[in-house]
Amino acid sequence: MQISDVMKREVISIDQGASLGQALDMLTRHRIGVLPIIDRDGKLVGALRLRSILELVLPAFVDLVENYDFVEDFGAWERSAIGEERRRAPVADLMDPPLSVTADSGLLRAHAFMRQHDLHDLPVVDDEGRLIGLASWVDVGIAFLESRGRDTGR
Amino acid sequence: MLPILVSSLIFLGAIGLILTERMDRAIVSFAGAALMVAAGLALGFYDEEQAVASIDFETLGLILGMMILVALLRPTGFFEYLAAAAAGQSRGNPVLLLILLGGGTTVVSMFLDNVTTVVLIAPVTILVSEILGISPVPLLMAEALLADTGGVATLIGDPPNVLISSAAGLSFNDFLSHALPVVVVAWTAALLLLLRLFRVELSRRPSDPGALAKLRPLDALHDRTTAVRVLIVLGLAIAFFFLQDAVGVKSSFIALAAASLALVWIRPPMVKTLETIEWSVLIFFGGLFVMVGGLVASGALTLVGNLTARLASAQPVVAALAVMWFVALLSALIDNVPVTVAMIPIIREMGLVSAVAAPLWWALAFGAGFGGNGTIIGSTANVVVADASRRTREPITSRIWSRRGLPVMILTLVVASLALILFFPHFQGS
Repeated sequence: MQISDVMKREVISIDQGASLGQALDMLTRHRIGVLPIIDRDGKLVGALRLRSILELVLPAFVDLVENYDFVEDFGAWERSAIGEERRRAPVADLMDPPLSVTADSGLLRAHAFMRQHDLHDLPVVDDEGRLIGLASWVDVGIAFLESRGRDTGR
Repeated sequence: MLPILVSSLIFLGAIGLILTERMDRAIVSFAGAALMVAAGLALGFYDEEQAVASIDFETLGLILGMMILVALLRPTGFFEYLAAAAAGQSRGNPVLLLILLGGGTTVVSMFLDNVTTVVLIAPVTILVSEILGISPVPLLMAEALLADTGGVATLIGDPPNVLISSAAGLSFNDFLSHALPVVVVAWTAALLLLLRLFRVELSRRPSDPGALAKLRPLDALHDRTTAVRVLIVLGLAIAFFFLQDAVGVKSSFIALAAASLALVWIRPPMVKTLETIEWSVLIFFGGLFVMVGGLVASGALTLVGNLTARLASAQPVVAALAVMWFVALLSALIDNVPVTVAMIPIIREMGLVSAVAAPLWWALAFGAGFGGNGTIIGSTANVVVADASRRTREPITSRIWSRRGLPVMILTLVVASLALILFFPHFQGS
């Protein structure tokens, strides 16, 4: 089994010229954790992760204090928002590098790659680097277990 | 004449290099010490035995003992607990928050290392002000300024006091009867001035005033048993400091004995505990002692001492004020430890020539302690809070610091000047 057998082919992606605000709208509308970013030819140029967006509103003290067990909620920060100026900036400002695998990647290989780069969703590209699919960690892991289960059950 | 010139060049060169911050101060001090001994051997004014004899083990022992106690207390979450508890008491009122956090930091740093105290309390301060939705700048600056001011009150409150007590033979109670009253007034004046200087920031309403009600300070204290044990030992040590004059033991012995008692009682992983000791500070001090020992041996400091002693015996009050303001200005620009280490032999020389030394020791303590408030680099506590603030939306710049810190420095020095003038006879006896 390879990654192309388990990936979703209908991938929601955004053009690299779009603004961060447009990208945020797509993430919330489709309730997804990552938005692949493509150029005019459909080539993968990066990815916008939900995590990177939340970093924008995360207070600096979470890295400063050794523990925050004694705090129940972050008060004023719980209501912080992403500013208008930030929303108007190009999505490319906040994107991660275009980490991806090709369609013939094995499932364990894909898992190792996601583990190495701390990814939860893995874009899949063709030989020209065009985005052709997206596989989540759950897609990959469950597909692997199912295929092995079938093999050993036989 | 050549030894005087060479030894002065080595010392001033080292101080200059520390000032540029291009090399770690402990490395400069260590290498400077080696250079001083080499020059001394080559020119015949200073040798290895003299170098070892010039190291003030009383100071190093006291600092090491207190560092071990802090190293044991640090991982228990006690400092975070204290900051969170103080914040909780403020009910989100920024003025009360500044008084409680500044006051709490001061009390702790009168007995424990200022720097560790501020290192652990500053992040909680930032957290508290961020969840309240107020600026952390007044709180952070108040903590550093008030802790440094308060530290002058006790023998173990700041490193210059440790150095001075060891050199002048002053006890813990001497500090309580001479430095503490001045510090109480200076500290109160500094607090009132800070409340005035930050009145705009402090009058802004927190955007979430109820946020602090949900703090659970006890959850920060994750090793209560160890914290209680360290505090009991620390209390015992402080009791012995009070009785020091009657019992007749050295401060370093009290601190090291307390540290050994705490180690036996707690039995922590020793390698890990020793890792958090700031050995570089001890090396920095040791190197400075050896360098200044060379200055003494070459006669450089005798020269300065003789010159100033003549002025001092003619005008003792003026001399004390001059020493205090001079040391304060130097301490605002460079670390107050090398300033103090260099001033000690000068004052000792002056004491040999005339009987004016006693008030000068207090002038040195006030100058070195209060002088650091003036600039962002004046004390390590200042540097620590400024560094922490760099991670927030309102970094404390050198300009921001000087606009508030410099008035505090001048006010506290004015208070100390008035005390020296009005109660001069009191400072002449110990």
